[in-house]
Amino acid sequence: MTENNRTEDAFAFLGKGNGIRQLIRDFEWGATPLGRVETWPGSLRTATALLVQSSVPIVMLWGEHGIMIYNDAYSVFAGKRHPQLLGSKVREGWAEIADFNDHVMKVGLAGGTLAYRDQELTLHRRGVPEQVWMNLDYSPVLDEAGTPAGVIAIVVETTGEVVARQRIAREHERLLQLFAQAPTFMAMLRGENHVFEMLNPNYQALIGDRDVIGKPARDALPELADQGFWALLDQAYHTGEPVSRWSERLVIIRSPDIGPEERFIDFVYQPIKSDSGTVTHIFVQGSDVTERVIAEHRQRLLVNELNHRVKNTLASVQAITTQTLRGAMSLREASDSINDRILALSRAHNMLTAQNWTGADLSDVLDTALVLDGDPGRPRFDVTSPALRLEPHAALSLALALHELAINAAKFGALSRPDGRVDIVCETARLEDEEVFRMTWREKGGPPVQTPQRRGFGFHLLERALPVELSGKVRIHHRPEGLVFELSAPLSAIRESADLG
Amino acid sequence: MLVALLIEDFIIQLGCEIAGIAMRLEPALELARTIDVDIAILDINLAGKQSFPIAELLRTRGIPFVFASGYGAAGLEGSGLSAPVLQKPFNVGDVGRLLASAL
Repeated sequence: MTENNRTEDAFAFLGKGNGIRQLIRDFEWGATPLGRVETWPGSLRTATALLVQSSVPIVMLWGEHGIMIYNDAYSVFAGKRHPQLLGSKVREGWAEIADFNDHVMKVGLAGGTLAYRDQELTLHRRGVPEQVWMNLDYSPVLDEAGTPAGVIAIVVETTGEVVARQRIAREHERLLQLFAQAPTFMAMLRGENHVFEMLNPNYQALIGDRDVIGKPARDALPELADQGFWALLDQAYHTGEPVSRWSERLVIIRSPDIGPEERFIDFVYQPIKSDSGTVTHIFVQGSDVTERVIAEHRQRLLVNELNHRVKNTLASVQAITTQTLRGAMSLREASDSINDRILALSRAHNMLTAQNWTGADLSDVLDTALVLDGDPGRPRFDVTSPALRLEPHAALSLALALHELAINAAKFGALSRPDGRVDIVCETARLEDEEVFRMTWREKGGPPVQTPQRRGFGFHLLERALPVELSGKVRIHHRPEGLVFELSAPLSAIRESADLG
Repeated sequence: MLVALLIEDFIIQLGCEIAGIAMRLEPALELARTIDVDIAILDINLAGKQSFPIAELLRTRGIPFVFASGYGAAGLEGSGLSAPVLQKPFNVGDVGRLLASAL
């Protein structure tokens, strides 16, 4: 019997194997509150046998002190704490989480269970603090009398999964930030009814302050019906092909107070497909390019207007050339006259351009037109004129007419003599119901005047074109003492009007 | 103003007679209401105002008309009118062909 007793294996319940089984066999259990293995109750042996067989990390905390017995899988989890952890008191073995385990022991020995999912703990398994996450399941182990004698814990470390989930969440957050901060407008529409799932601040700015999340696009933005956008969305959804448009006109009601507003947008409807290849969402992305479209439109208008002005000016130059040549005595004379007239036209244009073609002061018209070679400061003109603002076409016509008079005076009239002078009197007056502008050009000190035999460009312009242009009357008197030119025109036809200014 | 002189000159060269000239919208409308002519030449831009109302008036009176413009045919955009357009600058031959086509 004695021999049998000696050969009988007290640890037979552990089964065969190295690792934790050997460590349990070799451990001095007599030095712990558990006592020598021969004294262990059946429940402790059975529970120990059960956990060492498991490939899931399991630890048992026995007795009030929670003496630790665990399996091979748990020893991997314990890191450098193993093998010192075996047979230690749980509050001392895991000193850094003693409070946590104290609670576990109290609940477990009172017959309760505990379950934690992704419980965050800071462990010192390798000598340094380490953030870990675990799924922990605690349940009591009953002794032969049915009283809780220990706590058994299934420990599954989830740090890898938790870190991965956190990384995905951070990436998602970053994408949302990108979405929010993107300079373009963006929205995500779900399903064939294009339900708003997400939109960024720029999209919100485009549609105004209204809540569209969870609503189908057609309901959320009813004013877009019949503007073609829904058909394009349906097309992108059903074909799976992206749709893009540039400078597309959009009439949107961002605020009921403001009413319909015209905007222009560049946009893409990008279908988003599931793994199986079916379209689940439409990603809407684009830019409000209204300012650009308006600028382009304005530029087109400007180019057209410039082209119009150039063509008109060319036609004016053509008129000057044709008509001057027709009445010319010699090519030399014609060439000089053409040059003079084109320069006069150019000076008048400069005058009007300086005022953005809104109009010109009568005094500027006189200054511009009465420029003669060798007559700086025009001492030979005696000018009286009221302050008067002329509309641009009247200013241009008057400048050209005055230039013709001055050239004629310099060639044939008063200014062809050293003592010759010209009086110019401009005035406004009320005549019956109408305010009129009158101008009298009176030459004196020149050679005796004869009525000219032929009427050239200058007289044509003064006698025929000017009265029509100014809706007025022109009279030219070839008096022996000097030429007199009289113009009268309704002030309304020549004055700069408020709507032109 | 200068261009009116030129057209006037071309018209006379073509053996036609000038029945009347106006350079502003209001006198031109007055002219279009009363004058008896074979054809009218309208500059699209009369001292900053468009001459389309004159064209409408002439149309109701059954008087043919052509336009002259620095804009060319583009000057008629948005007017709803269709008529030959004389693109400035032009020569006597252009004026003759356009008048012939409109008559």
